[in-house]
Amino acid sequence: MNSSMIRELAAEQKKVRGKKVWLVPLGFFSFEAVWALWLLSNVSAEERMTGYLMFFYHLPVINTIIFPVMVSVIASRLCDMEIKGDTLKLLYTFQQPSAFFDCKYISGVKYLLCFTIGHGILIISSGKIFRFGDPLKIPMLLTYLAVTLCTGMVLLTLQQTLSLMSNSQIMPLATGLAGSFLGLFSLFFPAPLARLVIWGYFAAFPCVKMDWDRTTRITKFYEVPFPLSGFLAFTAAGILIFILCRIIAVRKEV
Amino acid sequence: MSCVIITDSLTKQYGKKTAVNNVDLKVPDKSIYGFLGPNGAGKSTTLKLLLGLIKPTKGHIEILGRKVNQKNRLAILSKTGSLIESPAYYGHLSGKENLRIICTLKDIPFREIDNVLKIVRMTQQQDKKVSQYSLGMKQRLGLAAALLGNPKLLLLDEPTNGLDPAGIQEIRELICSLPEQYGMTVVVSSHLLREIEQMATHVGIIDKGQLIFQDSLASLHEHSRSRIILHTDNNPAALKVLKQAKIPARQKEGALILDVHQDSSIVKVIAACVHADIGVFRVYERQMSLEDIFLHLTGKQVSL
Repeated sequence: MNSSMIRELAAEQKKVRGKKVWLVPLGFFSFEAVWALWLLSNVSAEERMTGYLMFFYHLPVINTIIFPVMVSVIASRLCDMEIKGDTLKLLYTFQQPSAFFDCKYISGVKYLLCFTIGHGILIISSGKIFRFGDPLKIPMLLTYLAVTLCTGMVLLTLQQTLSLMSNSQIMPLATGLAGSFLGLFSLFFPAPLARLVIWGYFAAFPCVKMDWDRTTRITKFYEVPFPLSGFLAFTAAGILIFILCRIIAVRKEV
Repeated sequence: MSCVIITDSLTKQYGKKTAVNNVDLKVPDKSIYGFLGPNGAGKSTTLKLLLGLIKPTKGHIEILGRKVNQKNRLAILSKTGSLIESPAYYGHLSGKENLRIICTLKDIPFREIDNVLKIVRMTQQQDKKVSQYSLGMKQRLGLAAALLGNPKLLLLDEPTNGLDPAGIQEIRELICSLPEQYGMTVVVSSHLLREIEQMATHVGIIDKGQLIFQDSLASLHEHSRSRIILHTDNNPAALKVLKQAKIPARQKEGALILDVHQDSSIVKVIAACVHADIGVFRVYERQMSLEDIFLHLTGKQVSL
């Protein structure tokens, strides 16, 4: 990271002063924490024996619902001030448009990273508090956090581009909301069709699957191998999406 | 005289519409260059092209002796300040915080902020949120931002927009003082002829994307050829008579304007009127105003 990049990131930090962007991930995290507490307080001691597996199964589904909305709100909070203040025509006289896009993106990723770390802490602390019977597998935890962060970053690319290209933030926010529903529904789509819905990728790389026995009404969670090749392909597609979005945003004449 | 801005066939097209058409700007060093033109003439587009905010369809730009390209654009622009169209600001931050962001990005020490705030007389309002500023105050803040880093070249697009008459006078005086006090060259665009007339040392007039005049203000005044004005008791009949006598004339605001200058021609005009039994009230010479010149050049009425 060169000195101009550090300066530009410092400027980004100065811009968000008083914007209370932290409240957005904090609010969504609080919602997830409350949901986890409610879920765990309603499960039997027997089910807590596979508590971590249950978490790793349910959390990606919850992420599919809340992450797209959260990402759209974060991107909107970060980009709207540039649109409202008509600042790009000034900034681009001492900052490359591509550097501006990158710094804005890093600024947004910072919130996603904190949210993801919070997730990790939530999983570990829930296991301790509710005394899960199964051991916490660190590779599984890291894999889950990596999938969550990567998918969030791809969504952030799309949302940031939309927010920077739109004069009003209604459309980007509506896209986030629609993405949340579409992502959730995509979990029931046939696999080839579900692969087209970016918002559904939080749950597309499972480490855990569920088996529900209709006769005994017993739910079992079991570990499955992580689809690494699929995740790598998604990451590569995410990088391509970032490059394309950056080209589009940089080409916008101010 | 050396030039800080030179453009060569600068052209910008949007589809079939040519916003800027083969403009060859020459802005002399330490001058105040008034960039004048009606609304939509291409002033802002030209300034944006100079700043690299939009890419030219054709042509070259040289600023401060260096040909501008994508690689050196920011290095060259680090010695410039700009205020394009409306002022840019973060409404949720104070004026001082806004300037701090620019200082950080331009790598300028924060202590310069007090100086530019003093120049634009905004020291009192520096801690107020910009969203609570009036348009005039925002404009001053934009000007303060442009002055940060003591730039050699200042590009100001309609800088007095939204200011009250006292504010306009202050900004005008400030702009006029910049070349002498700080050694800056100022390009200031406006659609207000009187404003340019009061500030500029050099003038460029743009219309429909084309630079139709460019020289010193004194030279523009030299363009003001005198006209002979004729008042009669029957202007339409007089105009008819003059046309028959092949004397170029047109009717305007209750008088006839004659495009003749020789005494013998004026004698001929009066004789033709008298022979046609038209009463001649007054004949006098009038110098063309800048407004007349502008109208003559662009064919459009200019704001005053």
